[in-house]
Amino acid sequence: MYEAVHAHPDGDATVARYARTAASYGFDGVVVRNHGDARTEYDAGRIREETGIDVVRGMEIRAEDPSQASGYVGNYRGDHTLLLVHGGTNAMNRFAVEQDRVDVLAHPMRDDGDVNHVLAKAAVENGVRLEFDLSRVCRLSGGGRVQALRGLTKLAELVDQFDVPYVVSVDPTSHLHLRAPRELAAVGETIGLGAKRIREGLAEWGRLADRNRERQSESFIEPGVRRGRYEEVDR
Amino acid sequence: MKHLPKHLRPRYRYLAVELASTPDASLSRRSFQRELWYAAGNLLGDPGSADADCTVVRFEFSDGAGEAIVRARHGHADAARAALACVASVDGHDLGVVVRGISGTIRACEEKYLGRPRQPSAQRTVAFEGGEVPAVERNGVLDVRVDDRYVGATNTDFE
Repeated sequence: MYEAVHAHPDGDATVARYARTAASYGFDGVVVRNHGDARTEYDAGRIREETGIDVVRGMEIRAEDPSQASGYVGNYRGDHTLLLVHGGTNAMNRFAVEQDRVDVLAHPMRDDGDVNHVLAKAAVENGVRLEFDLSRVCRLSGGGRVQALRGLTKLAELVDQFDVPYVVSVDPTSHLHLRAPRELAAVGETIGLGAKRIREGLAEWGRLADRNRERQSESFIEPGVRRGRYEEVDR
Repeated sequence: MKHLPKHLRPRYRYLAVELASTPDASLSRRSFQRELWYAAGNLLGDPGSADADCTVVRFEFSDGAGEAIVRARHGHADAARAALACVASVDGHDLGVVVRGISGTIRACEEKYLGRPRQPSAQRTVAFEGGEVPAVERNGVLDVRVDDRYVGATNTDFE
C-alpha cells in the first residue's frame, strides 16, 4: 500500500523522513506529490535501500486555468511516473478527467469542486483515478469535516455507479499526518466508505506506478507490444 | 459498591499506541485524553464513544515521542482505532498516532508492543537550505528548526 505525500518545501518533512515513518507504519511505498512550484530533490535508490520504501516520482499540477495546466502536463509527463492534477474547481476537475495523460485527479470535492455523472464517465474513459481525500476527515472537526464527508459520500456513490477507478490518500503535509493503513481502514469503515475501499485505494497508487514505469521503460512500444529478447539467427 | 462477578465484568481490549510530535511539544495524559475523547465524540457520536470507551490507562511522553495504552470495549476496538486516527493535534502541536498492537490485558500490551528502547535526544547544527540551523536528533531522525516550525528529516538528508 502506498501513500501520496507533500515533501519539503511543499510540506514539513523530507522524503527520507516520510519513507522512514511510512516503513514503520506498514506502507510499501510513497508517492511524492509536490506541487509544481515547490519541487524537491531526493535520492530514491538510497531511500529504498535504507527503508525498503519504494519512492515514486510524481507531481501535482496546480494551475490557474485548463490551458496553463495543459502546458504543464505536456512539460512534466515525460519525466514523472505519476501526474496528478490539483482539483477543487469545476474547470480543473473537467480538464483532468478529459486528459488521458493525467493519472489522478486530486481532491476533486475540495473548495468549490464537484463531480457529476459526466465527469465520472469521462474519468472511466480516460483512466483518470479520482482521489478520496481523507485529509479533512482526519484533521478537521465540525463544519469543515461535515462538508468533506458529504463530498466523499457523493464521490463514493458515483464511483460505485460507474465503476470509476480511484485512489485514497490523507494528503499529508507532514510525517505527523501519516496514518497507518489499518487506521485509515477503520476510519473508512466508520464514515461509511468501507475498509475494503480504503485498502484498494491505497494499493491503487502502487499498481498505477508499476503500470507507468512499464510504459515509460525502454522496451515498451505500445500496449501489448514490447521489445523482447530474440535469438540470434545464423545466416 | 461490591465489584461485579468475573463473568459479568466488561471485557476490554487494550490498544498499544505510539505517539510522535515535534520536540517542543509537552503532552500530558490529561491533554491527550481530552483530545481523544473529543475525537471520539466528534467521529462516533455520544453513543458510539460511550461504547468505545477510549480511556487512556498508561501514558508516557517526553522529548516529542511517547507511548500510551488506550482501553476499548471488546468489539469496539476498530471504532477506538478510528478515533485515534482522528487525533490530529494536541495543544496546537501536530501529533502522529499509530496503533502498534491490541491485547486483552495491559500487561501483555506493554510487554509485546511497547517499551522499545529510545536514545536520548541530542542538539545538533545542520546545513539546511544554504544556512546553519539548529536541529534535534534522535534514533537517526532529525527535527530541523526552520523559522518558527520544525521540518522532519533523517540523517540521510545530511550526508
